[in-house]
Amino acid sequence: MKKILALLLVLTMIFGLVACASTDTTSQNTDTADTAETTGDSTAETTGDETADDTTDEAAPTGDFKVAMICDSSISDGGWGMSCYNAMVDAAAEHGWTTEVSDSIDQSAYYDSIIAYCQLGFDLIYAPGNQYTDAVLQAAEEYPDVCFALLNGGEDTPGQAVNGNVTSLLPDATQVGWIAGALAGLMTETGTIAFIGGMELDTTKGKYEGYKEAAAYVGEQNGKTVTTLDCVYTNSFSASDKGIEFANAMMDNGADVFFGDASAVDSGARQAIDERNATNGSVTIYDIAQPSDLLGQNECIIGSQVTDNASLVGLCMTAVEDGTFGGEVIYGTMQNGALSAGAVSDLVPAEKQDLYQQYIQQMIDGTFMQ
Amino acid sequence: MERTKARGGIRGTKLLNVAVPVVSVLLAFVLGCLIMVILGKNPFEALQYLWVGAFGSLANLGITLNKATPLIFTGLCACFAYRCGVFNLGGEGQFLMGSIVCCVIATKVPFTGLPAILLCLVAGAVAGGLWALIPGLLKIFRGQNEMIISIMLNYVATLFMGVIYTAWMRDGSVPQTVAVPKETQLTRLFGMRFTAAFIIAVVVGLLIYYFLFYTSKGFQLRAVGYNMTAAQFNGFAVKRYILMSFLISGIIAGLGGSAELLGTQYRLINNFGNGYGFDGVSMALIGQLHPLATVVVAIFFAALRTGSTTMQAATGVPTSVSDIIQALVIVFAVAGLAMVKLPQFQAAIQKRTTKKEG
Amino acid sequence: MDWTFVSNLILASVRMATPLIFLALAELYSQRAGLVHIGLEGLASIGSLVGFLVCLITGDPFLGVLAGAVVGIAVNMIYAFATIHLCAEQIVYGMAINIFAPALAAFIYRVYFGAGSELVQVKLMSTVAIPGLKDIPFIGPLLFDQTPMVYLAYALVIFTAIYFNKTKSGLNYKAVGEHPKAAATLGIPVIGIKYLASVICGALAGIGGAYLTTCYSTTYVDGNVAGRGFIALAAVIFGRWSAGGVVLACLFFGFCDALQIRLQVGSSGIPYQFFQMIPYVATVVVLALIGAKKAGPKAVGKPYRKEER
Repeated sequence: MKKILALLLVLTMIFGLVACASTDTTSQNTDTADTAETTGDSTAETTGDETADDTTDEAAPTGDFKVAMICDSSISDGGWGMSCYNAMVDAAAEHGWTTEVSDSIDQSAYYDSIIAYCQLGFDLIYAPGNQYTDAVLQAAEEYPDVCFALLNGGEDTPGQAVNGNVTSLLPDATQVGWIAGALAGLMTETGTIAFIGGMELDTTKGKYEGYKEAAAYVGEQNGKTVTTLDCVYTNSFSASDKGIEFANAMMDNGADVFFGDASAVDSGARQAIDERNATNGSVTIYDIAQPSDLLGQNECIIGSQVTDNASLVGLCMTAVEDGTFGGEVIYGTMQNGALSAGAVSDLVPAEKQDLYQQYIQQMIDGTFMQ
Repeated sequence: MERTKARGGIRGTKLLNVAVPVVSVLLAFVLGCLIMVILGKNPFEALQYLWVGAFGSLANLGITLNKATPLIFTGLCACFAYRCGVFNLGGEGQFLMGSIVCCVIATKVPFTGLPAILLCLVAGAVAGGLWALIPGLLKIFRGQNEMIISIMLNYVATLFMGVIYTAWMRDGSVPQTVAVPKETQLTRLFGMRFTAAFIIAVVVGLLIYYFLFYTSKGFQLRAVGYNMTAAQFNGFAVKRYILMSFLISGIIAGLGGSAELLGTQYRLINNFGNGYGFDGVSMALIGQLHPLATVVVAIFFAALRTGSTTMQAATGVPTSVSDIIQALVIVFAVAGLAMVKLPQFQAAIQKRTTKKEG
Repeated sequence: MDWTFVSNLILASVRMATPLIFLALAELYSQRAGLVHIGLEGLASIGSLVGFLVCLITGDPFLGVLAGAVVGIAVNMIYAFATIHLCAEQIVYGMAINIFAPALAAFIYRVYFGAGSELVQVKLMSTVAIPGLKDIPFIGPLLFDQTPMVYLAYALVIFTAIYFNKTKSGLNYKAVGEHPKAAATLGIPVIGIKYLASVICGALAGIGGAYLTTCYSTTYVDGNVAGRGFIALAAVIFGRWSAGGVVLACLFFGFCDALQIRLQVGSSGIPYQFFQMIPYVATVVVLALIGAKKAGPKAVGKPYRKEER
């Protein structure tokens, strides 16, 4: 008797739960709609405080466009996450949008975080990395009204989205590699350079290949043989300790110019390089930063590859405002100005700086390595 | 056994068993609200979003139940083992081993659909059970502490999963395996996010409840957990029960792992199943090692998690606040329940209730 | 395989072993008093954050380490009260600390720095060479040109070995972990020693965490402890609960990690996770081989009730 009672109790509990939810749905749904509107106001206030004061003033009249970014690394990593976040904030300031961000999220939680923003009525989800592709596609299928901008997304990704609401922002990875590789080829003394990757993404591989071939070519032009160590992957964008250890191991193998694609790991590598330089008494090992101009952040940084992510995101925002968003690949190249070389440090001798600028010009003209 | 105790005492303890977790939850929320006030956020607004995120719509309820599913499995895994007096902290490793085997089979077998689903679930469960046998055998034959061994094996399983998705079965550029074929994935129910896995989880909970409290084997198993020496004295095959409880709790976790893979994540990926094992232990303890209470507690924690993502997105209150609330619930509840079991405390309760009745 | 490769490998092993040594000693002191503590991961993460913040604000890494120790003690008092006085299940409470402390650390970091996006770096502790010893060929520069924290770790290991084996007070301490009731009848303050153990454990775990941000990496990232707390637990078992064994286990685990990184640079083709598994597999194997009688303090993990029977 007792067990039947218990079973009944549990069943009623479960059905009660389901029933409660379904009867409540209608009222709750309107609730959500109401709250979504109030959210707009409250987020405008909070982000206004946190980001730029002028945002709120501009945001108020144009109204209610909202963009959210998800990021698996920290946005204060002094590298990838920081640059992508700033790009979004800059673009939002220009377009009068409000911004939100969730950073340091697990790979298994990408989808949940995206969905949470979709439900809150965000207009655009900005996912800076190829690794978000699957989560974005899944969410895009379930939320046809939300727009998704996938930085470093694949060329075929927008086509895979059934609702046509995904856009790939695709900076040319090979050119990114070239910009760093040309400088590395000019500056290496040992003839050995290194690259640290975060995940084995297609774009990371592309950057590595570009870096490798540009350095070899520039080295050859200047009478030296430049080899690039095999690319290593930390499989994490936040493990700065791994960056330290990898950089140390690679310096032991003779590497003297570094380039990386791994967020906080890059800062770890720079720390190790700075320490090694301090021990040696002079700066002889260098690092090239990306994707924004980080010259001066660390002693060892001699130059940066700069990607104008803000303008790419801005293009998406314009498309959302005009209702023309979706289904396309927005390329970022040196020719259209989305990719460029940042300022070069004084550690690079004047004649090498001139040579570097020549190579950059060749890349823009399409005559590099021809 | 329990019935021989003074009835008043029992009633008092039972009440406390419910009161302590509830008070812990309230206390944790009060502290959480205080933090929000200090942050300059409106705690009521934040809590409202927490609620909306977790239960606000049918879709959200689906997400919550879906999130609760793996927690129910690992919670029941811990619950079952603890009832027999063994501390299986390896729920996570068993969960992962289940999902690894499930993933291999689901992506390699030539057929899809229901037969593949059944095969995957069974194979995952078996894998989980076998992984749990390692600490079980080491406990029986070498007298080793099963807790430490099962923790170590969790890490081995996590790293082994890493080998699978970064090297052996990697699919394309991102370190992850290929997704389970569409036909082999568990379908979503009522158009909501949750799948048949949730139903399986609840059914498993009911089965365990029935087994533990309404069968003689279950009674003997609980007797072993209650007092191992006395059980041995009474001629119960203690070692066999211990091994069985490891095996079954591993099977539950392994089943959970395969159900999660087929129903939610579809592929092995970095941080898959991360923390579910320890979460399960907390759920089981806060649920007083009662299978059905464990299910309820798991749903509660899942709601906190689902809601907190929405809360952060809407109000900017960091998700770590919700993590802190969850941790405080565990901190308070575990301490509170331990306190209730203290002899001094029991004596005091006994005195009060008998006085009232007399 | 040249000379610098070997010496750099050893240097990296020492560098990676040092935080493990602090954490493993914390575990050792706790277990010797009968308290098994799986919450070191949490204690280290809060220690790491507070150490980082204090180091950033004051500019003094030593104050950072001190602050890490203090906060480690403070958080560990929650564990101590619940497990000693309330007799809560130690493993479960350790786990609760593992959930609570990192969440607190992440929260403080986010509140202190806001949603800002600037890389915050601290100045690391500088190395101090020990004159004389540092000139010993080969091992000199490897072992005696380090930060003071590395020397502190060595000193603590030597002190611990002497304390537990040669002093009356150390033997009393160990008795609490072996036979608390017998110890109590001999007039040893069991509860007091358990609290002392928790203070030492909290301090060392906090220092171990603070080491990561004041001596190792210039930045703080959530999750920077990265499983070191559990590797330390493994090291205590692998080192068979003796100070010397524990330090060798830590060095061995540090060596595995350093080697793993280097093999990846040379791309060996073996998945690196297999190297990372070594500490855990080794622990299980050791436990399987040694048998229960020799497996650590006998009363470890068991609650101590004064009034019982």
